[in-house]
Amino acid sequence: MVAMRPELLKGHLDALLLAVLEPGPRHGYAVIESLRAGSAGTLALPTGTVYPALHRLERAGLIGSDWETVGGRRRRTYQLTVAGRAALGEHRALWDEFSAAVSAVLAARTRPAPA
Amino acid sequence: MNPPADPVVETPIRAYLDAVAGHLRGPCRLRARILAELRDGLEQAIAARIDRGEPADQAAATAITEFGSPDVVAAAFAGELTTGFARRTMITFVATGPLVGLWWLLLLRPDPWRTGIGALLAAIPVLPLVAAGLATAAGTLATTGRLMRWFPEAGPGRALAATAAVAGLTLAGDVLIIAVAGNSGALTGALALIALAASLTRIGYSLYIVGQVATRCWRPSR
Repeated sequence: MVAMRPELLKGHLDALLLAVLEPGPRHGYAVIESLRAGSAGTLALPTGTVYPALHRLERAGLIGSDWETVGGRRRRTYQLTVAGRAALGEHRALWDEFSAAVSAVLAARTRPAPA
Repeated sequence: MNPPADPVVETPIRAYLDAVAGHLRGPCRLRARILAELRDGLEQAIAARIDRGEPADQAAATAITEFGSPDVVAAAFAGELTTGFARRTMITFVATGPLVGLWWLLLLRPDPWRTGIGALLAAIPVLPLVAAGLATAAGTLATTGRLMRWFPEAGPGRALAATAAVAGLTLAGDVLIIAVAGNSGALTGALALIALAASLTRIGYSLYIVGQVATRCWRPSR
């Protein structure tokens, strides 16, 4: 299994992060692990990609965060906002349309030219 | 999961975070939060590996490698730090603007029998600069915040340029209003002293921001 390069995910990272947070609040490392586990290791993203993307989503109001103290350490937990849930729905609809179109083109086989 | 207190783990974590901190530039509070979050993530990654049976030193080394080199991780945060700086600066300018403008308005307000925008502009000619600064700040705050879902998102480079523009407009406005008031002989009395002090303070802040923008024109990540 080859880990996906971050640049290949450009444009889809927001949707992936929102989807990972859909079941409930998670902290940053759990988000990274959920992406890895949910994609059977394909989406093993470097930390440098995931944390800034989470911060940007929070700035956009699509997720919120809370700091809590666990075992004497500060931990930041992220959760979807109402706007984030709506945005995830839009991302899903767009992805369905996009992936169906790309699959249709890629699946087409060129017929051999007539002799 | 409890944080690992083992020096075998703590020493490389601290060295790694110090190295990341050395590359981070931006508001102190934002940097502290980033480092706290990275520490938590690293500790969990290491603890998970130790739970799977890896020796502590190897778990720490592998987790740190997976997190990415300090300069790469810091570079990934550069855009967010730049945008955070821009937003914080814009909010400061917008929030403190009335505290400065109020005194000049009281000092230079047109005579009561002269009404209309023309009279106001003649008395306070910096109003177009104020309007331009407010529009730039509002636009930047909108396109780097919650409204970026509907408007094209302003990247860190554009946010930084807008910050420089707002600081420049504010600086020009303060210098111009002091000159106008001085020429019209209005710079007398306690009110003038307060207005002057407010503008001079803001000129100092604007110059500081222009300097910060100049040093931050380092490498917006996108």
